[in-house]
Amino acid sequence: MPAARGAGAVTVESVSAALRRAWLGRRGWPSRVAGFWRSSLEFRTVATTVVMAGLGATIIGTTISVSIGANLYDQRRDQVQSESLRATLLAQSIFDSATATEDADQVELDSLQNEAQSAILASTSSPGGTSIAILRTPGQTTAQTIQAIASPDFPADQITPELRDQVAADTGALALQPVSLRGPGGDAPGLAVGSTLQVPTAGQYELYLVYDLSDAQTTLSLMQRTLALGSLALVVLIGVVTYVVVRLVVGPVRVAAETSEKIAAGQLDQRIPEKGQDVVATLGRSFNGMADAMQKQISQLAELSRVQQRFVSDVSHELRTPLTTIRLAGDVLYDQRASFTPTAARTTELLHTQVDRFEVLLADLLEISRFDAGAVELDLESTRVVGLVDDVVAEFEPLAAEVGSTVTIDARGGYLEADVDPRRLRRILRNLLGNAIEHGEGRPVEVEVDSDEEAVAVAVRDHGVGMTPAEAERVFDRFWRADPSRRRTIGGTGLGLAISLEDATLHGGRIDLWSRPGEGSRFVVTLPREAGTTATTRPLAAEPDDGARAGATAPGPPEPTSGEPWSGTTEVHGG
Amino acid sequence: MTPRILVVDDDPALAEMIGIVLRAADFEPHFCSDGSAAVDAFRNSAPDLVLLDLMLPGMDGLAVCAAIRAESGVPVIMLTAKGDTVDVVAGLEAGADDYVVKPFDPKELVARVRTRLRPSSEPTTDVLTVGDLRLDVAAHEVRRGDTVIALTPLEFELLLALASKPQQVFTREMLLEQVWGYHYKADTRLVNVHVQRLRAKVEHDPDAPRIVTTVRGVGYRAGSSA
Repeated sequence: MPAARGAGAVTVESVSAALRRAWLGRRGWPSRVAGFWRSSLEFRTVATTVVMAGLGATIIGTTISVSIGANLYDQRRDQVQSESLRATLLAQSIFDSATATEDADQVELDSLQNEAQSAILASTSSPGGTSIAILRTPGQTTAQTIQAIASPDFPADQITPELRDQVAADTGALALQPVSLRGPGGDAPGLAVGSTLQVPTAGQYELYLVYDLSDAQTTLSLMQRTLALGSLALVVLIGVVTYVVVRLVVGPVRVAAETSEKIAAGQLDQRIPEKGQDVVATLGRSFNGMADAMQKQISQLAELSRVQQRFVSDVSHELRTPLTTIRLAGDVLYDQRASFTPTAARTTELLHTQVDRFEVLLADLLEISRFDAGAVELDLESTRVVGLVDDVVAEFEPLAAEVGSTVTIDARGGYLEADVDPRRLRRILRNLLGNAIEHGEGRPVEVEVDSDEEAVAVAVRDHGVGMTPAEAERVFDRFWRADPSRRRTIGGTGLGLAISLEDATLHGGRIDLWSRPGEGSRFVVTLPREAGTTATTRPLAAEPDDGARAGATAPGPPEPTSGEPWSGTTEVHGG
Repeated sequence: MTPRILVVDDDPALAEMIGIVLRAADFEPHFCSDGSAAVDAFRNSAPDLVLLDLMLPGMDGLAVCAAIRAESGVPVIMLTAKGDTVDVVAGLEAGADDYVVKPFDPKELVARVRTRLRPSSEPTTDVLTVGDLRLDVAAHEVRRGDTVIALTPLEFELLLALASKPQQVFTREMLLEQVWGYHYKADTRLVNVHVQRLRAKVEHDPDAPRIVTTVRGVGYRAGSSA
């Protein structure tokens, strides 16, 4: 089938090209092959099949070869045995007939011996050469002896003493021994057969015939070569067939995978071509059905989100316009309060501060609702985080001074810039620093900045009242307050930390918290340095490593802590 | 002479309140409550500055802004209830020089208006060159060869600030302070958007700027870094 062979040749070429590509990479080829193994189902399947088929072919081939070899040997041995037997009988009968007619003398014995030798050589019909030797059994005394003879190519060194002992025992049976013959083309297998001859007046002699089995060896080798070549061809064929079949099956799966990747990348209208009625076509149809349903859902959600965004935007506008008027009016009055009666002046002051508070609350509420609607996006900028921290700390210094706290910055070396939304990071830092100062009991507040290759981190530590584990777990909840009775200096809305967490999450970052009642709290915000990645490393741990220092800088009597300090991490959820 | 300010806002209470604040600061407010009438009102009152609400009946605030910008370089300050990136950037791209987010306080509004009405810098030389551009400081005019390039006052201020110290790299914060008069942290998008607008006017190829170049991670400078 020339057509099939042609197709096979092409696929083999492409496989070998792929292998070559995989092997000639800059990396060492073992790792390339390992990578190829992981990434290519075809390669894996073909390699497995070829290895298994090769193993099978080797086992079968070896079995066949061994059994045929044994058979060939048995056959030749039988032949050799019968030939030897015949030769022995022939030689013995020559000696016997001579002694029956006349008394043997030395000359006659020699001629008998020659006659026997010729007769033996003539009787052998084995292919290959046969060599002969007649040796005297040692340890006898007789009237006459005949010369030990051997044909010129007789391999006397191959006749072992064991064989000679066995023959000399004269059991009447033939003694066989495999030997190896040195020939012009290297060693060849042979078979030595020994038997005894009774020569009248000269005693017992041993007849050795050595048969050359190289013809059988040649046959066996040829057969083994044929088997090996056949197996190899079979394995290659199996490999090619497997590749073709796998391609047929994997092809549509690959199309499906590529299509789903495209859909995941946002090309929602991508579909798989539907051909035929087979299982692959069914896969395509179900996939397309799923994609249709998904596209519909997504466009519905997008529409909902758009409506929601629009609503938030509208509410924002509608609420803020009257609030702006109130704000302007309040401020104009506030600026003139010196000329009012004390009651009216105080009223104006209250109006002023509460409008401020209302404004902050509204802004935070709108921000949260934007997060809920997914209507937020990062405005990323390459930012020097240390500089930003400096700015925020400077901004809070008056407030810190008011409560008697000092704020220190410990900026370690490392990677200075990060792709972050500076407005959001600033908001996070303001929240953390504001909280630290507010809950810091007038004790020092420590800010640490550090970074590694992947992430930047800012830690804000206070030595204030701290939180119990139960409190710490709720600290990121909306409108949650640790102690409602505490006086608030900053007038937070209760949404600050919730927004901070959303901001950090939006960056692919996190906020970790350590807190212990009486020893203060430590918030660590970690943001990835590169946009679109998630922070996996932590340049700063949540737990403070200041043990003794905490005691030194916070001289107030620390409350006896019950239980372990709470240390938790916030879940980084989608977004 | 009292500077005239056109207030384009559909909310009568807010417009009146803004009027009170502006009058108290010695400005002369004019009012327009409809988007479609805003351009006519602009032509009639010939204001020195426009305060423009983005959500207007009749004609969208962005469209009004673009229409005003098409015929004049008079400073436009957006009044926006939206702090969202998209809205702010859209307004700036439509040609607004600055924006104030509602709710704002009277001092903030007046400060923004004053900054935009008063040239910020007093350069020592009359003519500056940057690249193949000539800046005539007194005439507020930029020429490439014999061609005059029309820049808004804000764009001219921005280019002038950069060109007056050609060796210096300006951070966005420095430009915010020098050109926009912000003495506290403000939105650096103002700088980004206006640099884009400026480049679109003065660069041969805005995608490969040679007049206003970016110094990555720091800010901007005039001329190439070579």
